[in-house]
Amino acid sequence: MIEPRAAQLMWFPDYGGLGGAGAPGFEVVPFRLKDRRRPSIHVLMIEDDSSIAEMYRLQLEHDGYRVSVATTGEVAFSTLSGSAPNLVLLDLLLPDRSGFEVLAALNERFPHHPPVVILSNYGEPSMIDRGRALGAIEYLVKSRVTPAEISEQIPGWVEQGRGRGQKES
Amino acid sequence: MTQAATVAQDLTALGFVALGVAMGYRWYRDRGRAQGMLAGALISLAAVAALGRIPDPPPALSIVNLVLFMLSGFFVLLFRHEFVPLGRTVLYLAYGLLAFAIVVGIVDVVAFSNAPALVVSIFGILIVTPWAIFVGEPIARFWMQSNKLPAVQRARMRFLSAGFGLLIAVLFVAVVAGSAVRSPTAILLTQLVALLAVPVIYVSFAPPSLLRRIWRLAEENEIRAALQDLLIFSPTRQVMAERASYWAARMMGATSGFVTDAEGNVLATAGIDAGGAAALFASPARSVISAPLHLTEGEGSLVVVAGTFSPVFGSEEASQLSGYANAVAAGLERARVTERMAALEDNKTQFLNLASHELRGPVTVIRGYVSMLEGGLFGDLNDRGRKAAEVMAAKVSEMNELIEQMIEAARLEEGGVTVHAVEADLRDIARSAANVVMPLLDADHNLEMDLPDRRVRVKVDPERTRTIVANLLSNAIKYSPDGGTITCQVRSRAGVARVAVSDHGVGISRDGMAKLFTRFGRVLTPETEHLKGTGLGLFLGRQLARLQGGDITVASVEGEGSTFTLQLPLAGAPASADGASDGGREVAGSAPPAVTPTGKSPNPD
Repeated sequence: MIEPRAAQLMWFPDYGGLGGAGAPGFEVVPFRLKDRRRPSIHVLMIEDDSSIAEMYRLQLEHDGYRVSVATTGEVAFSTLSGSAPNLVLLDLLLPDRSGFEVLAALNERFPHHPPVVILSNYGEPSMIDRGRALGAIEYLVKSRVTPAEISEQIPGWVEQGRGRGQKES
Repeated sequence: MTQAATVAQDLTALGFVALGVAMGYRWYRDRGRAQGMLAGALISLAAVAALGRIPDPPPALSIVNLVLFMLSGFFVLLFRHEFVPLGRTVLYLAYGLLAFAIVVGIVDVVAFSNAPALVVSIFGILIVTPWAIFVGEPIARFWMQSNKLPAVQRARMRFLSAGFGLLIAVLFVAVVAGSAVRSPTAILLTQLVALLAVPVIYVSFAPPSLLRRIWRLAEENEIRAALQDLLIFSPTRQVMAERASYWAARMMGATSGFVTDAEGNVLATAGIDAGGAAALFASPARSVISAPLHLTEGEGSLVVVAGTFSPVFGSEEASQLSGYANAVAAGLERARVTERMAALEDNKTQFLNLASHELRGPVTVIRGYVSMLEGGLFGDLNDRGRKAAEVMAAKVSEMNELIEQMIEAARLEEGGVTVHAVEADLRDIARSAANVVMPLLDADHNLEMDLPDRRVRVKVDPERTRTIVANLLSNAIKYSPDGGTITCQVRSRAGVARVAVSDHGVGISRDGMAKLFTRFGRVLTPETEHLKGTGLGLFLGRQLARLQGGDITVASVEGEGSTFTLQLPLAGAPASADGASDGGREVAGSAPPAVTPTGKSPNPD
């Protein structure tokens, strides 16, 4: 899992991730790929803040992912109908609806949708629980993770989503 | 003796004339129907007293005197009618009785001027009884009604009743006893009693200020206490306006009261519903007494709906009302400020929450790009560029830390912190915390982990507990500017698990101890003032420890160092019989230790 910088971790009372990031005894070593080319992975980012979307895109494309950005829930749905991304990075504050609503709609309209990771500015336990209940495989507070850290996690998440998909089907 | 009796009779007559003149003057000044009735009663009584001093009056004068006498009683009844209206039938009966008494009186004067004593007495009773009814019924009623009134009004009512009561007594004694009271001594006595009625009646309509003060004395304290409650302890403007209405009504002896704002909206009522109050305010009746409330938004009103007797006996209170209204206005203004402050306090927490979340957005971007710069995503940086990126990264991390603390503090104030307690080994938590602070260590600082061999099982929120310990360790490093060994000792004893973090740093003075755990409380000394900190760390640490059934304590010697101890309840039975005997030590210097249970490095970066 992601281990943010020391000073930042000084105050990490929030939930660090669905896997229990940083919890002693539950440390998970990130999946590292030496190879930067990951041509098969397509990430859909649902994010209305263009500066954040652009930043992640730079990092992710640099690391070899294919990246689509949807600035609203509606755009995301049309993207999902047209192509099949391997992972969805979902912001919670969107102009047309909340990320939770998007996730609920995803569950309904695309039962076999790709794994969803929530990236939010909010780390309230209630929101994390809600995200978990709606089937997000990870919930991260944006300010606590760097683009590189997210990038490194992506193959693991995709793998995790695949595993879950197989279990379900 | 005869002469004394004559003097007494003259004095009494003089007294009643003076009373009549005084009342007449008062009525001339204030007008008012009720006052007019009372003036009528007293002026005719004065005339009767004066005419009575004419020796051997002709029959016509005697008849005039008799009519005036009957009218004086009847005016008292009309006075009462002004407050508590009589039924139509009763009023007709009263007129009938008046006519009857006058007729009887005329017959007495014309036909029985030289009748024997018994006949005179019978005629006397036939005349005096209607008078006594006209006067007696009102004064009995006044006396009873006065119970509900404020002290001054009550006293005035009672004096009026007592004065007329004395007159009734004197008249009956004079008439019934007949010739028995024709002796000079008896005349002297009855005249003196009648004379006593003069000042008693006088103070009822014109009480001197000394008397008013005495009457009010008992009530004053109660009113003062109530006013204090009203002005200081009313939690909201609404409650305050309600209490003000109630007390205004009570002070005035009024039936109800209400408060309106500058727009004329009814703010609060007492003894009347809002609709009734609004209607009364829109078209004020004669019985409404209003005092202006000077509020910042304009002039409101403190209104009382006068009670039965307040127009005549409440003049005192009416003038008091405007003074009271000033105090109420000031109080309402204060209540408004207090309400605003309370709202602000709420808003402060909300603001802390909102601001910190809003700050996370920009921090994410800055931190992201800086990390990408450092990671070489935009090409290799030269040495100066790398240094700059490092500084930026450190500063953004500081900012991030502050934001996290603000969010946690806001959450604590809202009571929104939930602790997810699971069973964990406190040694692991301590190790994990040590890893967190590892980057803060330099060549001068040495971190020594003193951990027992056996597990220290605690049921805590591992995330938050690690945060607390890491914060204690970071403080230990920060406040040991000259370096030295920092010890992190984990022990369990008597159902309590402890993590003690000791340093050989600047220490804390006795005065500083009190500030340590307060929100934004920092102990600033020449040694520490250059060190950065929010003053939230220990506050949050202790709050979080307490939420988990533990606490943080401190022992420190200024200039020698400090030991902060986090105590937590052990899960179930203590894992180790005597934790202190465990001697396992892991020494961690600047090199990253391999301390995670998985045996892998916890630092992926």
